[in-house]
Amino acid sequence: MNDPNSLASPIPPVIPPAPGQLGDDPSERAPIPNAIVAIEAILRRPRRVMFQLRQPDAGRLIAAMIFVSVACALIYGVVVGTFSGGTQLWAAPVKIAGGLMISALICLPSLYIFTCLSGSQARLVEVVGLLAGLLMLMTILLIGFAPVAWIFSQSTESLAWMGALHLIFWFIATVFGLRFLKAGYSHSNARSHAGFHTWVIIFLLVALQMTTALRPILGTADTFLPTQKQFFGTHWAECLKASDSEAKPGPRN
Amino acid sequence: MPVPTDKLKPCEISVLLRGELPSIAAWMERWDARRFAFHVGIIIVGAGLYGAAMGWWRDPQQALYVAIKFPLIILLTTLGNALLNGMLAPLLGLNIPFRQSFSAILMSFAITSVILGAFSPLLAFMIWNSPPMSPQAVSGGTYDFIKLTNVAVIAFAGTTGNVRLFQLLARLGGNPAVARRVLFAWLAGNLFLGSQLSWILRPFIGSPALPVEFFRATALHGNFYENVLRSLLQIFQQFD
Repeated sequence: MNDPNSLASPIPPVIPPAPGQLGDDPSERAPIPNAIVAIEAILRRPRRVMFQLRQPDAGRLIAAMIFVSVACALIYGVVVGTFSGGTQLWAAPVKIAGGLMISALICLPSLYIFTCLSGSQARLVEVVGLLAGLLMLMTILLIGFAPVAWIFSQSTESLAWMGALHLIFWFIATVFGLRFLKAGYSHSNARSHAGFHTWVIIFLLVALQMTTALRPILGTADTFLPTQKQFFGTHWAECLKASDSEAKPGPRN
Repeated sequence: MPVPTDKLKPCEISVLLRGELPSIAAWMERWDARRFAFHVGIIIVGAGLYGAAMGWWRDPQQALYVAIKFPLIILLTTLGNALLNGMLAPLLGLNIPFRQSFSAILMSFAITSVILGAFSPLLAFMIWNSPPMSPQAVSGGTYDFIKLTNVAVIAFAGTTGNVRLFQLLARLGGNPAVARRVLFAWLAGNLFLGSQLSWILRPFIGSPALPVEFFRATALHGNFYENVLRSLLQIFQQFD
């Protein structure tokens, strides 16, 4: 039996490809020549970044994304440093950019292991690229938060309050970064997300501990790095207690 | 339906207030410096007039200060969050360029300012009929009435501006769920920064016991949220 519609239109309509596979949309195959295009792509068309990470010359894109991450982390670090001023103007950017890169480096092997265990076909380069994408998206979002953080750092004296504010900004930025990483992970034929979710917890714990291991980032101290080892939970509890005892003498107006 | 036109006319204010989406969407297609200046002008005049009426109860000088500060808060909030809002829109599913997100927010603030400007004669009339600001007036019902009127007018103007912004975002994104998500994120950011800027730029209504000044000496001491938290703690301590 012939389809009656085929008589009316002998040429079949062009059906756009399903958006499932990376690169099905021609715009996703457009190369990413520099860091500016990479920023634009990760915000507006993250699938383009994911597709390019699978290409043989993905190294340049990864280098560009790491460069942007470091630059943005340094800029945000300067804003963090304006709270205390002095040496913190250079110490905070160095610690934030360094801490972020060290956290990523520490967590990279476990991410690759979890990726392989879940049955994903992603190569190590692609996993590195996805992690670099997470860092870039995180840090450019932090730049978006920077004007707000700066206004608060100029008008707030409470260390605990500013610490909480930076943590909230960091958390929001990380959620968006992890969303990109998860989308990339989903496209690598992973059978399960359990490993990925475990890794997310590991990454968050490492990054939070880094804020304590590299302290002070916001406040001031006699030494560049701490002389006493502490877990981040204990350190934050101490900070909150100290700020509570400072606030007790009387309300400020 | 009126044909969308790119020419700038003063009657654009009514187009904004009616929320004529074809025309507004057509304006946003390309950058127009004159239209941008027009919207900034609306904010300066509309919010400035309302600010003047608000500060007039304390002193004419306070009226002048608030007329400058009120538009300043709106413009600084728009500028301070521009980058963040421009990034959040595509990340939350609304793929519009930075310029469009900035214009959309500025337009919603322009609508809010037009409404505030329109209510400024009413507020001024109310202030004119009120007893002069004194410790008695502040401790009595007049102060509360003026304060509540301001809250009601600003809430109405803000809500209307955001309803129009939601309609515009839904048209640009073609999806109300995405528009709601983006609007919520933008609102959260703008409220967060706007509250702190209002705290820094206080006073607005003023106090008879304190001098008339542009900034309080403690403008950069503490923040809005710390103060709210401290007030809440004081309330709870009364129950202990």
